Amino acid sequence: MQAKDYRSSLTPVWCTGCGDFGALKALTQALADCEVQPEKLGVISGIGCSSRLPGYLKAYSFNSIHGRALPIASGLKLSRPDLTVVAVGGDGDGFSIGLGHLPHTIRRDVKMTYAVLDNGIYGLTKGQASPTTETEVKIQQGLAGVDERPLNPILLVLSAGCGFVARSHAGNMPHLRTMFREALRYPGFAFVHVLAACATYQRKNYAEEIYNRCDLLGDDHDPTSFEHATLAALSDRFKLGVLYRRPVAEAPAVAAQGTGRAGIWPPHRASEIALETAGEVEE
Amino acid sequence: MSDMENAHPTATAPDAGAQATVSTTSSIVFALVGSGGDGVVLLGELLMRMAAHRGLYGMMVQSYGPQIRGGESAVVLRLAQEETRYEGEQCDLLLCFRLADMARFRGSIQLASDAVVVVEASEPGELPDWVGRSSRPAVRYPFAKIEDGQEVPGEPKNMYALGVIMRSLGWQPELAHWALEQRFGSRPDALARNRAAFDCAYAADTGVGSLRHLSGHGVPLHVETGNEAIARGAMDAGLRFFAGYPITPSSEVMETLIEELPARGGRVVQAEDEIASMGMVIGASFGGVPAMTATSGPGISLMTEMMGLSSMAELPTIIVDCQRAGPATGMPSRTEQSDLYHSIYGGHGDFPRAVLGVFDVVHGREVMHKAMHLAERYQLPVMVLSDAYIAQRRQIVDSPIDPQDHPRRRFWSPADDPKRFSLNAEHGIGPFRRPGTPGGEYLASGISHTAEGAPTSDTSIHHAMNAKRFAKLGALAAETTDWYRTLGDPAARRGIIAWGSTIGVLEEWLETHPDHRVFLPEILHPFPLAALARWRQGLEWTAVLEMSFQGQLHRHLAGITDMTHVRSLARSGGVPLTPGEVDRMIHALPLVGGR
Repeated sequence: MQAKDYRSSLTPVWCTGCGDFGALKALTQALADCEVQPEKLGVISGIGCSSRLPGYLKAYSFNSIHGRALPIASGLKLSRPDLTVVAVGGDGDGFSIGLGHLPHTIRRDVKMTYAVLDNGIYGLTKGQASPTTETEVKIQQGLAGVDERPLNPILLVLSAGCGFVARSHAGNMPHLRTMFREALRYPGFAFVHVLAACATYQRKNYAEEIYNRCDLLGDDHDPTSFEHATLAALSDRFKLGVLYRRPVAEAPAVAAQGTGRAGIWPPHRASEIALETAGEVEE
Repeated sequence: MSDMENAHPTATAPDAGAQATVSTTSSIVFALVGSGGDGVVLLGELLMRMAAHRGLYGMMVQSYGPQIRGGESAVVLRLAQEETRYEGEQCDLLLCFRLADMARFRGSIQLASDAVVVVEASEPGELPDWVGRSSRPAVRYPFAKIEDGQEVPGEPKNMYALGVIMRSLGWQPELAHWALEQRFGSRPDALARNRAAFDCAYAADTGVGSLRHLSGHGVPLHVETGNEAIARGAMDAGLRFFAGYPITPSSEVMETLIEELPARGGRVVQAEDEIASMGMVIGASFGGVPAMTATSGPGISLMTEMMGLSSMAELPTIIVDCQRAGPATGMPSRTEQSDLYHSIYGGHGDFPRAVLGVFDVVHGREVMHKAMHLAERYQLPVMVLSDAYIAQRRQIVDSPIDPQDHPRRRFWSPADDPKRFSLNAEHGIGPFRRPGTPGGEYLASGISHTAEGAPTSDTSIHHAMNAKRFAKLGALAAETTDWYRTLGDPAARRGIIAWGSTIGVLEEWLETHPDHRVFLPEILHPFPLAALARWRQGLEWTAVLEMSFQGQLHRHLAGITDMTHVRSLARSGGVPLTPGEVDRMIHALPLVGGR
């Protein structure tokens, strides 16, 4: 299968210069890389510009309702584990109306790739502020919520215990393709934050400006280190790459912080001892 | 001598003569009243278990006080020789651990004229007047252990009560031993403790009068709650995915499925809320897997947008609504029939859905098979309206039979129409595209779409697609014209239209009102109107009876058929209707002619 074989006959409705074109292309490339059969692929979205993406793929696609891509994708994957499931949507869909589903899908560790194409604006409804709109943009464009600070999606999913966290920029397609590929191959819930510029409701040159604020993660970044991932998330630059990839054997939690294997909650003394004893017997 | 003066550690027998009175009437009603922790629910469960084992039918309803634990708790239980859907208005045995707890059950408990009454010996005061008077004086029995004027907690009061009731019923102690073994078999200490308490109470002559003898069929029967019946009926009908969120009074549907669905190859998810529950159900159905959720009023409100999506994207779903008193939080453990409007009309836009009503526990299994058939055949959401009265009751029923054969969705193959939403499909039903089928890839969507599934804002296509989807509802209506029940003499001149759980009280009421007949739709939407019209022939007086302040069924029918002169017998939910109340509601109506 070639990347183009994953495209449906529909022509995207996106504006010229929209970052979603890059995301669509990189996703089809990654699907080809992973040799996913179209009939075994389920792609679920909510509502928004980026949520139109499933219609442009040759797959069992579902353009559902606003904010609900994750529960629908979860129902599909949990009842049909034989399928490859991708959920896709924008920052409004995923971080505003649908945010409540994100930590729970992470807790369930449903094996799927969730790509949020974040343009920092509501494009489909013509330019309102989203949870990731920068304060300066809100001031300049006279948008609501000047006093509301933007959300840090990476920190959010890390704190919820997400096992795979990556970020890329829709203008760097080879990098984005790699991120999608890694996410598709991860045996759990994989979150990919895609900086995708809006060509209409963001300022001119927004894509370039954002890209100039990005750094590729260096060789010194250890993606198995929760501490490294957290520091990268807290940076005032957009760090691109696989920020965190928890080894499969580790508990789905902030294990690297030393709070124990059982999860965010410190383990109960007795169960900790039992775990250690069990380990000793096995060894 | 007052009851107070009889309050000794040893029970007294004020009226030994009453023991001779043994009637042969075909049912016995028990009212067991206590506080949370007194174990009246366990006591009721054990009685039901034993009755079923003897081949008796029965029904048990319970009521909790406002606190989860620690408030009042009461059980009303009826054992009968025939299948019963109504717990009875007058109790033959009232057992009360605390007189103060009676207050909450005002209006729902009445003594039969020769009722056996057993009251905790240390309780000061008398039974309230509203409960009525029995010809047999109340017996005082020391269930509680009192030290320094305080009750010592942990006394097996319900086991003493079991001993007293078993003697009164004339049932052999071995039956209770068996029931306790069934209940506590895995906990030897609890079994020994409870059995010893039972034996102690059973051995002593307490002076409690005898209850009439009921002979069972000899064939052991099956005890099931409404929620269990819904869950098991759905599994038998092919359910393989369930997602839900805990909510009174529906949670036991999910709890039963958590225990039983995985063994049948299915999966259950407790979701983060009702929106996610319904989303997961839609996702599973999109995957070709029969799926459902169960909830109550507040959950239905949250799922409403998703119901529209299920209908628009033509994905089969089943939504069970165990109705409770609303709106908003309402009275979570109390029953009502007030979600009918929401089920039929709720949601934005025009979309087809089917709405079924549950009559009782036995029907719970049957209705789920029908719901599954409609959902899978017509690819739309099907609402199943149960209520708290059915959901939480225990009923003794004939052992259910797994129908084996269950509804199946018709799946698409490359030989079929290439358009998923073809306007030419018979009855508007296109074969379902199951993921994994090569060549069947398509876009499902909540956005208006073409026959191929492509998003469109072409208004003529939008209208044509509405017509296509509603064509399915027309075909569904044609298939379900006989989905209703009637009760009473077909020649009777007075008729009552009702639905759901009110079937129980109406069956009881008709025994003393043979001049009436009753029509009960099993499918509420689309309503079996032709059958209703036939049934109405020859009626001189007609009324709609329901537990909804607005009279939702009455008003709904007025929109789809001629309801001139048809009365509305409607009140808010809360406690279920009683035969006496049906009388009072009818008599309160102005005496105007009708038809």
